[in-house]
Amino acid sequence: MDWHYIREKLRPIAEGLFGKQRITRYEKPHYKIRELDYMLANLVRIPALEWRNYAFSREPLNGKFNDEQRLNWAAKSIECGESYAQRLISEYGTSDAKLLASKLALEVLYPQYPDKTDRVLFADFTMPNKINIFMDAVYRAERLLQKRSVKRVLTENLQLVNIILSHEIFHFIEERYKHEIFTRTERVRLWSLGFLHNDSGIYALGEIAAMSFARTLNDLAYSPYVMDMFLIYDYSAEDASGLYEEMMQLAGLEP
Amino acid sequence: MDFAIGVILLLTFFALAWYCIKGFNLMIGFLVITILWTVLPLFGTLFVSEEFLKANPVLMFEGGKGLVAILNRIYQSAPEGWGTTLVNVCWGAWFGRVLMDTGIASTLIRKTVELGGDKPVVTISLLNLVTALIFTSMTGAGPVIAIGVIVLPILMSLGVPKAIAMFSFMGAVASGIYLNPVNFAQYRAFFIKPSDMPDFTLGWYASHWGYAALAIMLVVTTLLAMFYLGRAKTHRQWAAQTRTPQAAQKDAPIYTLILPVVPVILNIAFNFSVIGGFVIAGFSALFLCGRMSGTFRENCQLVNKLYYEGVVDTAPLVGFLLTLPMFNAVAVYASPYFNVVIGGIMPKSELVVCVVFAVLLFMGLFRGPMTLVGCGAATLGVLSNVAKFSVPFLYGVFAIPTITVNIGCCITQSWVAWGLAYTKVESRDFLKLSIPNAYATGILQYAAVYLFLTGLGSAWMVG
Repeated sequence: MDWHYIREKLRPIAEGLFGKQRITRYEKPHYKIRELDYMLANLVRIPALEWRNYAFSREPLNGKFNDEQRLNWAAKSIECGESYAQRLISEYGTSDAKLLASKLALEVLYPQYPDKTDRVLFADFTMPNKINIFMDAVYRAERLLQKRSVKRVLTENLQLVNIILSHEIFHFIEERYKHEIFTRTERVRLWSLGFLHNDSGIYALGEIAAMSFARTLNDLAYSPYVMDMFLIYDYSAEDASGLYEEMMQLAGLEP
Repeated sequence: MDFAIGVILLLTFFALAWYCIKGFNLMIGFLVITILWTVLPLFGTLFVSEEFLKANPVLMFEGGKGLVAILNRIYQSAPEGWGTTLVNVCWGAWFGRVLMDTGIASTLIRKTVELGGDKPVVTISLLNLVTALIFTSMTGAGPVIAIGVIVLPILMSLGVPKAIAMFSFMGAVASGIYLNPVNFAQYRAFFIKPSDMPDFTLGWYASHWGYAALAIMLVVTTLLAMFYLGRAKTHRQWAAQTRTPQAAQKDAPIYTLILPVVPVILNIAFNFSVIGGFVIAGFSALFLCGRMSGTFRENCQLVNKLYYEGVVDTAPLVGFLLTLPMFNAVAVYASPYFNVVIGGIMPKSELVVCVVFAVLLFMGLFRGPMTLVGCGAATLGVLSNVAKFSVPFLYGVFAIPTITVNIGCCITQSWVAWGLAYTKVESRDFLKLSIPNAYATGILQYAAVYLFLTGLGSAWMVG
């Protein structure tokens, strides 16, 4: 008698009786799966300013803004990121993110939590000086970088950790210069009622500037926003393809 | 012999508690325990004393015919009686899907954030309030996830640490559920058939305790979130958020944003039918948001699709809830034996029950013996049959560990488990925030139970 066969047959009954409660998950939308190098080749051609709609689509206050405001703010944020990158390079004499982090006395950790949901976390910055780079996404992307066609599009000596770290360093810089830096001083009036009013900062400006900062520091020919798609491709080619479609559409291009 | 059977029944109760805490299948667990609790008390009548039987007429039946009548009562009439609740669940699930599909729920969240801006304390307070309002009519894992994928990234982008964002959102969802007519109908079915106590309506419950329970949970959760935020360090994250259908949704018209609370208002203010409220508000939402602009056939397909998706949202719970009425019915036959063993030590004063339950709130975690959507259904079966308490009082006593502790604060709740994976919050980090919330909220809610739901008189007693 084949014991394995019997066990397989009995499994549904055993799971019904002793199986864990099933956790309800929602059905994710489905997308046409595309080749990674095809998507990368198209995304690296998007000019920095054309990423603004994608950046603002993650902005909680986006519904309050018009296209003109988005364009104006995106241009200023890109300039802000570039100028602070130049300032740091000349001040500390290096454009290497790891070296810069140590000179700025940042505590950088590299946790390795596996990631598997529809929100993949690459890194976080916690006040006053702690940065986590979540290595699961990095390792997966580094495996993809072994492909020649991918390497050709993203440049030969791509340092993923440095790009991510640079982005987070900018958030540290934002805190340090919060009274003068554009991404923090720019505010928008949400509502006013007589003398009462509520002014708010705009989250997306910091993100756009951080991408521009990382781009300048790492001397990239394309926006690091490309990493959003690239770093999740190994988790789910379908989710990455969906994100690619969204990025292209928001940049006004045909996916 | 009656004592020995009582001890065996008590052991099966603890075995069920262990089974639930281990996270095994509740539907099968309750089905097995129902069969055990049928066999032991009824078969036991052959061995117990004449005096015991005379003192408990519920255990006296005339031969095979009487036995079949009891079995029919347990396995047929009881789950059939729960059918009236089930239709409320299905229509409620449909309405939840309508609010998601029309973009009303996501628009409400976005507009709320646009009022609060980048001030985490203000935005978290407003979002908690709106989330609670939304979940007075929406329920189930699908709607919570659909709102969660909007609220959680917003809070995190405002620099709110992910564990605080998670605990605050889940607490706000649970506070709304205190006034949710579908959940009310579900839990009321644990205690009594609606026709046996027609005065125990959502309106009565809300005005006597429901509003207070919601307000306590909402305020305590928000105050705790503010306290935690005050101590937390600002956070920025780089995360890739994959495409969600909600992100692409256009804003719903402003005047439709009132629709989520229409069924609840109609029910509480005018005792208007819950399903009627869902139908009126649901179709108003579909028409006013332009979702019924297709051909007749397309519109029918849309309504049907939303109904299907809604029912799927609630399906895992329905299986469990359909075996529960059998268990509730069989507990009546087991209670005389329990009375022999633990009747002397079970609390009989309402004050003592409130104090004991407040102390033992942690037993509502991990599907333990206090939560109705876990082993608490068995505790209720024992407690309500060995002592006399009013239905509204018992409802309040068990609603707290069920809603505040299990639904709002426990990692075994399906949508909390989803949230932990979504935000990458460690279970222990979530529990460190949610257990203080469970206790602070729960103790105040028990105080409200004692103030508002005690001494109600015989008209509110079971049977």
